[in-house]
Amino acid sequence: MRRSDLGEFEEIVLLAVAALAPGAYSVSIAEELENETGQTVSTGAVHAALQRLEQKGYLSSYLGEATQERGGRRKRLFTVTAYGGKILHEARTVRNNLWNRITPAELSKMGLDFSNS
Amino acid sequence: MQPLPPRWLDKLATRICAPHLREELLGDLHERYALRHRRTGALKANFFFLREVTALLRPSIMRRKPSPYGSPSAFSSDMLRNYFKIGSRVLVKNSGYSLIHLIGLSIGLWACMMVATVVIDSLSYDRQWSRKDDIYRIVTVNKMGGGLFERHISSPSYLAPALQKMYAEAQSWSSVDSYRPHFKISPGDNDGIETNMLTVDTMANKMLDIKLVAGSLERTSENRWSLLITRSYAGRIFPGQNPIGRIIYEIPTLGSEPAPYEITGLIEDLPYNSHLRTDVIRLKRTKVEPLTNNGIIMFDQSYLLLKPGTDVKAFTRKVNAWYADFTKNKGREQFEFQPLKDIYLHSDFAEGQSVKASIRTIYIFAGVALLVLFIACVNFVNLSTAKAFARVKEAGVRKVLSGSRTQLVMQLLTETLLLFGISVGIAVFAYFFTLRPVENFLGHRLVLTFTSNILMAGGALLMFFFTALVTGLYPAWIISGFKPANTLRGIFTASLGQTGLRKTLVVAQFSISIVVLLATIVVWQQFDLMKNKDLGYDKNNLIGIEQIAWNGKGEAFKSELQRIPGVVRSSLSMWMPTEGAGYMQREVPDPAHAGRRLRIWHIAGDVDLPTTLGLKLVKGRMFSSRFADAFNADSLREKDFVKFEKMQMNQNSLMTASAAKMLRVKQLDVHAKDTQSVPVGVVGDFHNESLYEPLKPTLILAQRAPEYAGMLIRIEPGTEMQVGAGVRKLWKQFFPEKLLRIHNIEEKLEKQYEAESKLHSLFLFFSGLTMFLSALGIFGLVVQAAEQRAKEVGIRKVLGASVAGIVGLISKDFVKLVVIAIVVASPLAWYGLQKWLENYPYRTTIHWWVFAVTGAAALAVTIGTVSFQAIRAATADPVRSLRNE
Repeated sequence: MRRSDLGEFEEIVLLAVAALAPGAYSVSIAEELENETGQTVSTGAVHAALQRLEQKGYLSSYLGEATQERGGRRKRLFTVTAYGGKILHEARTVRNNLWNRITPAELSKMGLDFSNS
Repeated sequence: MQPLPPRWLDKLATRICAPHLREELLGDLHERYALRHRRTGALKANFFFLREVTALLRPSIMRRKPSPYGSPSAFSSDMLRNYFKIGSRVLVKNSGYSLIHLIGLSIGLWACMMVATVVIDSLSYDRQWSRKDDIYRIVTVNKMGGGLFERHISSPSYLAPALQKMYAEAQSWSSVDSYRPHFKISPGDNDGIETNMLTVDTMANKMLDIKLVAGSLERTSENRWSLLITRSYAGRIFPGQNPIGRIIYEIPTLGSEPAPYEITGLIEDLPYNSHLRTDVIRLKRTKVEPLTNNGIIMFDQSYLLLKPGTDVKAFTRKVNAWYADFTKNKGREQFEFQPLKDIYLHSDFAEGQSVKASIRTIYIFAGVALLVLFIACVNFVNLSTAKAFARVKEAGVRKVLSGSRTQLVMQLLTETLLLFGISVGIAVFAYFFTLRPVENFLGHRLVLTFTSNILMAGGALLMFFFTALVTGLYPAWIISGFKPANTLRGIFTASLGQTGLRKTLVVAQFSISIVVLLATIVVWQQFDLMKNKDLGYDKNNLIGIEQIAWNGKGEAFKSELQRIPGVVRSSLSMWMPTEGAGYMQREVPDPAHAGRRLRIWHIAGDVDLPTTLGLKLVKGRMFSSRFADAFNADSLREKDFVKFEKMQMNQNSLMTASAAKMLRVKQLDVHAKDTQSVPVGVVGDFHNESLYEPLKPTLILAQRAPEYAGMLIRIEPGTEMQVGAGVRKLWKQFFPEKLLRIHNIEEKLEKQYEAESKLHSLFLFFSGLTMFLSALGIFGLVVQAAEQRAKEVGIRKVLGASVAGIVGLISKDFVKLVVIAIVVASPLAWYGLQKWLENYPYRTTIHWWVFAVTGAAALAVTIGTVSFQAIRAATADPVRSLRNE
C-alpha cells in the first residue's frame, strides 16, 4: 500500500467529504475545516485537493443545483468512493495501532492522561 | 440584495481560472463571499476575497484545457507553406496596392542603403592603421581675444622632435605634407601626370603601416628626392616594368629646373579610406634643430606617435604649460592633439587638407535618409490598416475554422515580409547600379559598400528583417484582433474606425516632406547668395595664372600678354581671389579697445592690381606708375634687409574702407603708424577670401615685378577661349619647362561653395523623394476612402449631390491633414534652418513667401493626388455601387 499517496491536507479533506456527505462541495468543506481548525482555508486550496483526490480515484463528483449566491452557477458535489473509503480506513488503522501501543506512563509524561477523563 | 465582490477582482479571478473550471470555482468564490459578507461585513469579506483570488494562482487551476479539435502549430511546415501561398495570392490579387507598397518601400530602402554606405564609409576613415589610437596631429590654437580661437593644422617644425626628447610618452613623430605635383614620366610629356604626393619624414614608417614590396624605405641619395610609389601608381606609369631605380621629374612651378625623383621603393597601396590617401610618398630627413624662441618660427604639419594608453588630456596640459613657460607668451599660442581617427570628419578648420568631410553633412544626410525610410514605413502601416476592412472578413472566416490568432498574425507578417523581400531585391538592384553615379557626385570612391562587404550585407539584411517585423506587427495585430462574430456580420468595432493613428502618421509624413522642401529652398537661397554676392571687385571676365617663379621675365611676359586681343589689363599679383592674406597678416593694437589686437590682411601685386580687380575708389587715388608707388622689394630684400624694412615702412598703400575705419586713418598721404605705410587712397571693401569668413580689413601694397607671383588678367567679355589659347602659346615661348595652371576666377570662387552646392542637390533630390512618397501614401489612403464610401457616394448622388460637392467631401479630410502638417512643419523648419544659417557670416533671410510657396506646393500635390481618385469616385455610376450585395 502506498501511504505517501495521501497528503495530510488531502486526508483531512477526504475525511471532511465523508463527514459532510451528501452535501460536500468546496465551500462547505472549507467552512467546516475553518470551524474545526480555526485557521483560514482558501477555496482554491480545497478545490485543488479535491481535484487531486478525484484524479487518484478516492472521490467521485457530479454537478449539483445552481443557487442565487453563486450567481446562478452550479456546484460540484463530491462523494467518497469505495476505494477512497478503504484508504481512509487503512489510514485510521495505522493511527489506531500506533496510539494503542503508547504506554499509559508515556502518555502521562506527555501530559496526556486519558484514564481520569 | 445579493452582495457582490469587487468587479475588478472578479474579472481577475475569471482571467486566472481556466474556462472549464470557471463555473464551479467562481460559484464557490461568490458563495463564500456572500457568507463572509453576512458574517463579518463588506471590508473583511473583500479582503478575504483578495486572498481567495491569489490562492487561485496554482497550475491545476490556471492550466487551460486543450481543445479537443487540435489545430496545427502556427510554425509547422504545412502552415509556413500555406502562408506563402495565400500571401502571394493576396499580393497578386491586390496588385495596385502591392505596386504602391513596392515603389514606396524600394525607394525608402534604397535611399537608406545608399546613405548608410556613405555614412559607414565616412566613419571607416583611418580605422585601419595598426597604431590608429596612438597617432595624433599637432594642431596649433591661437587665442584671438574675445573668446575667439583660431586653429591651424601646422605647428612649429621642431616642436615634435622637442616633445619626443622631453617626454617619454612621445615615441615617434613625422612631418606630413601633401600636395599634387605633376610628374613628367617621359621626356616628351609636357603636362605630366597629376599625382597625390605625401611628403613624410623617414620616421613615418614606424607610424604608418607601409608595406614594402621591393626596394628600400631609406633614402638612397642626398642630391635627389627618394620616392616610394604604390603598386597601382606603378602600374599606371610603368606598366609591366620594374620601377625601382627609375628617375622621374616633377614639372616645376616655382623653381626653373625639373626636380629629379628616384623611385627607391615599391609599396602596397595605402588605404583609400584615409585622409592620407596618396599615390606616392616622398621621403625626407628633417635636420632636427633645437626649438628656438627668437620670433622666426618655421611651421609644418606634424604627427606624433604616443605610447599606447597615454592620457592625452594630461599630456596636452603638460605640453602647453611647458610651452607657455618656454615662450613667455601667456598661453596665446597653444597646442591640441587631434586623434588620427577624428581628422577626416572633424577638420572644418583645416585649410589645405584636401581629403576631409564634415560630420555635420553626414548627420544631415543620415537624418534625411532615416526620415525617408520612416515615410516609406508609415505608408506601409497606413495602407495596411486602411486595407484592414478588406481583410477582417477573411480573418473572421479563418478564426471560425479554428485558425488561431498566432496563425493570422503569421499570415499577415508573411505578406509583409514578402513585400519587403521583393522591395529589398529591387533596392539592392538599384543600389548596385547607382553606386557609380553617387561616387561621382561625392567626388571620391566608396570603399565599404553593401555589395562588396559580406558583413555589411548581412547586417543590412538583418536590419531590414527587423524593420519589416516592426512595421508589419501593428497592422497584423489590429486585423487579427477582431471578433469573428462581429466581422462576419459586418459590424466593425470602434478600433477599426480609429483613424487617429493614421491621421497622425499622415501629418508626420507631410511635415517631414515640408521641412525638407523648405530646407531645399533655403539652402538654394544661401548658395545663390554666396555665388552671386557682390564681392567688391568684378569677378567676371577674370583669368588667373597660379603662382610661379617668373625668372625675372614677369614684366616682359606681361607686356607681351597685353598684345593678345581680348586682354584689357593684367597684373602680377601675389594674391589670388579666395586666398585671404596673399602677402602677410600683421597684428596691430586696436585703437578702439586698449589691449586688444587687430589683424590686418596685406595683399601685394604690381601697380595694376587694384584696377585689374576693378576695385572701387572711395577717397584719394589708385596706384599709378606715375608715382613711386611700387618698390623693388625682391632686389632690395636681397641686398639690404634693414634698408628693405625701412623702405617698406614708408611704402605707399591702399586700404579698404573698413581698414581705414578700424585703424582710424583720417588723413591720406602721410605715414600712418598702425598701417606701417603711407596710405594714398581708400578703396571699397572687398572679400579677399570665401564668404565663410567675414570681411577682412585689408591693405594693398605695390611691388615692382615681384618674382614669386601669379597673374590676374582682365579680359573682354566672351574672349576667354581666345585669350586662353594666346596665353598658352606665349607660355610655351617663355617657360617651356614650367607648368601652366590657368583658370577662370569665377569658377574658382564657385568651387569654394561645393559643399553648399552638394547639399542643395542632395536636398533637391530628397525633397522630391519625400514628396513623392507622401503623395503615394495619401493616394493609397484616398483610394481606400473612396472604396469604403462608395455606397455613401452613391446615395448622395441619387439624392442629387453634385460632382464638385462629392470631390470636396472626399478631399476635405486630407487637405485638413496637410494644412496641419504645414502649421507643424513651418516653425520647426524655421528654427532648424536659422540654426544652420548661423554658421555663415553672410546669410540669406528666410522670407515669409518661402513658407507660402512650400505650403502651396504641398497643398497642390495633395489636391492633385486626391482629386484624381475623388473625381473618379464622384463620377462613377451610383447604380453599380448600390446594386451589389
